[in-house]
Amino acid sequence: MSLTEASAEAEHIPEQAEAVRGKGPWQLAWERLTRDRAAMVSLGVIAVIVLLALLAPVFAAITGHGPQEAFPATGLTPEGLPVGPGSGFWLGADSLGRDLFVRILYGARISLLVGLLSTLLATLFGVVVGMVAGFYGGWVDGVLARVLDVVLSFPYLLVAIVLVAVLGASVPLMILVIAFFSFAAMARVVRGQTITYKEREFIEAARSMGASKPRTMFVDVVPNLIAPVTVLATLLIPTSIVFEATLSFLGLGVDPRTPSWGAILSDSVDYYRVAPGLLIFPAVMLLLTTLAFNLLGDGIRDALDPRGEGGR
Amino acid sequence: MKIRDGMALATVLIFVGTACGPGVAPGDGTAPVQGGTLKVIGSGDVDHLDPASSYTTVAYTLNRTWTRQLVTYPASNDFNKAITIVPDVAEALPEISADGRTYTFKIRDGVRWNTTPARQVTAADFVRGLKRLANPVQPSGGISYYTGTIEGMQEFFTAFQKAPKTAAGIAQFMARNQIKGVRAVDPKTLEIRLTTKASDFLNIMALPFASPAPVEYEKYVPDGPEFRQNTISLGPYQITTYQAGRAILLNRSPAWKQEADPVRRQHVERIQIMLGQESADVVQQQLEAGTADLSWDQPVPTSAIQRMNGDPEFHVFEGSSLNPFLVFNLQSPNNNRALANAKVRQAINFAINKVAIAQIYGGPRLNTVLDGAIPPGSIGFDVDVKPYTTPGHVGDPARCRAMLAEAGVSGLTFQFPYRTTGNHPKVAQAIAADLTKCGIATTLIATSPDDFYGRYLSSVAKSREGKWDIGGPSWLPDWYGNNGRSIVVPLFYGANYAEGSTNYGAYNNPAVNATIAKALTAGSASAAETSWKQANAMIMADAPIVPLISQNVPTFHSSRVQNALYSPMSQQFDYTQLWLG
Repeated sequence: MSLTEASAEAEHIPEQAEAVRGKGPWQLAWERLTRDRAAMVSLGVIAVIVLLALLAPVFAAITGHGPQEAFPATGLTPEGLPVGPGSGFWLGADSLGRDLFVRILYGARISLLVGLLSTLLATLFGVVVGMVAGFYGGWVDGVLARVLDVVLSFPYLLVAIVLVAVLGASVPLMILVIAFFSFAAMARVVRGQTITYKEREFIEAARSMGASKPRTMFVDVVPNLIAPVTVLATLLIPTSIVFEATLSFLGLGVDPRTPSWGAILSDSVDYYRVAPGLLIFPAVMLLLTTLAFNLLGDGIRDALDPRGEGGR
Repeated sequence: MKIRDGMALATVLIFVGTACGPGVAPGDGTAPVQGGTLKVIGSGDVDHLDPASSYTTVAYTLNRTWTRQLVTYPASNDFNKAITIVPDVAEALPEISADGRTYTFKIRDGVRWNTTPARQVTAADFVRGLKRLANPVQPSGGISYYTGTIEGMQEFFTAFQKAPKTAAGIAQFMARNQIKGVRAVDPKTLEIRLTTKASDFLNIMALPFASPAPVEYEKYVPDGPEFRQNTISLGPYQITTYQAGRAILLNRSPAWKQEADPVRRQHVERIQIMLGQESADVVQQQLEAGTADLSWDQPVPTSAIQRMNGDPEFHVFEGSSLNPFLVFNLQSPNNNRALANAKVRQAINFAINKVAIAQIYGGPRLNTVLDGAIPPGSIGFDVDVKPYTTPGHVGDPARCRAMLAEAGVSGLTFQFPYRTTGNHPKVAQAIAADLTKCGIATTLIATSPDDFYGRYLSSVAKSREGKWDIGGPSWLPDWYGNNGRSIVVPLFYGANYAEGSTNYGAYNNPAVNATIAKALTAGSASAAETSWKQANAMIMADAPIVPLISQNVPTFHSSRVQNALYSPMSQQFDYTQLWLG
């Protein structure tokens, strides 16, 4: 899913779920979410992946294969072909004789770390920029909105490639690059929402009571943004994970020794005929992770939007 | 020849291959078939079309069809035969004076330029050819071989650089100035005087650089666009069409006569080289389908080698290279100058699993694991020079650790630039993993192939700043056999380290330099060999590099190609030997 698609979906979020006596809107939303089977399965899948990522060192200890350790004598044939799944290597080895299973688990750490942190950064930054632009309006909005347009119109993959090539590959840089290209989508949604709230009575009331602009923004506007922002953030996570995998696939991600799904996929290009596992396993993990986050995001959107229920 | 990515020969990125005999001569005794079009496809153009400056294996493949030298190598699938000098335009091997410094060549009758009318090649054409090497517009990349051996060549070269860079200026300079040691005694006799004895001089004269040049070439700037449209042939084929980056077409030269050429044949009618095919897989598919006959510059793809076992069209030929090797930056200030300490370098020599590096390039059939600084197939190779060999060549990290501890060194972190192309990232990771086992940390730095040399290994300033500590470059000698000048000198001769040096680590041992000088000026190849072996042992004692592997060359041709004979210098079949069945 592209960034713009994600933002388009999020824009459908209404201001706030309507209150029902005795139950808060969040409680209602949660109840609706738990009734959504796809979202619940996705949540389960995400939990399993997180658990596997957390337990990566345990599996490394069980197999005796560190994530960066190469075992050319046992993991490769004499001609240098990776061995397939077997007792020594649960999912087979990669092209240097490293344990594919262990590397995929450690790769999950990188994917989740990059996905979550870059989304968090993009969300924080996007909310602030979008809210300031929407709330202050005038020339502030003009400048910020144009900046967002510029960021959104960047050929982001090309710019990312150049940035990484010039500044050198590292996890923090990758997170910053991804966050930079994701925040604009978030900011645009937040700006739109803020503009609609700005004219609402409760804001007028706050203003007439003498609340400062920052106070109004953070106390009165922010709570109303939580729903759309949550949905969009959930949908940004898989986008970021795929972005990371893309950069790593192109050899522009992290240190080549660091296990990353994209890098493993890139390694498989020369070997998929003889070692299909090298292609299949990281691809399936990438697919499962992004699909789970996307379905969860859809579920959250539906849960927060009772009027959209008929759509499912 | 420094191996650069994108250079045809270099990127033989192969990984498979199982037990099968070495490349077998396909000549099966059937009578040669005359005629037909040999279809060659590949990606890139020659670096230069002018033999004075062309310096890639594809250009060498092409040169073989339309230029000739005084002496050359026969095409053969027997490596030793294919690296033995035989007469070509010279009637016989030259007479060498008693002091070993004067070579007298007799020009063979009937060797003719394809001019109208056809004209006998003369000694003056060879004098002109040698002079053109020093031209200021496109000086030969191999000029140092000639300035280092021929009397007066260095002075001639230096003076020539100040000549006007126009065709007229170059012609005028060549008319007014002579190379002191080169003389056309008469139209059929060429005399070359050397500064000192050089047992490899005939190898130098067998390089395509030493091709003769007809007087017509004085009308053009060397290797300029006009030159490229007006090449004059003395070989069995002539270039009829040259479209830069798109196509090169050759047909039979009417001036060439079989009885005046002891090494080439003229079986096919035309040779058609189509460029612009960037995919090695597509090239391979076309060869297998028979819509093309030979690959111009694309390696046999990794995916194809797996299915090729026992295929009569698939051959693996012996190579002789340091490709890759691990070099230490002896000037690096990092880690308290640890790499200036021979003990540290020796320890690391024990650490590397060379079998794992060979596996990256397809395992034992396609590679030879190296222990010494000189690979087999090059003079000075010595199976007994293996001071740091480990059982099975798999490395001994424990020994490395112990030696580092003994040297009182710990906590090493190396800056390790690597090229992001081909198998280089894998090599870097494999070496880094071995060093980790030895307690050495590495910072991997991704670089483009150009930056790898220009901004790291070959940059004096960056080397001294410690921008790199270790690197994995590749080296392919310009010729095989008596080639110390093309492998030991560029990599280990320390007396003239300078910007752009291929002695990347700035290794400089006066005793080694003296031994190299002795080897270069030896009167015979066997005397030279003794010195090169000594140099090999002395170099490895200092351990300025970790020798890793020498790669062999997998090749493939379509099923209709017969009599495919290999030329090690161009790493390709000799187009002038084969016919189409």
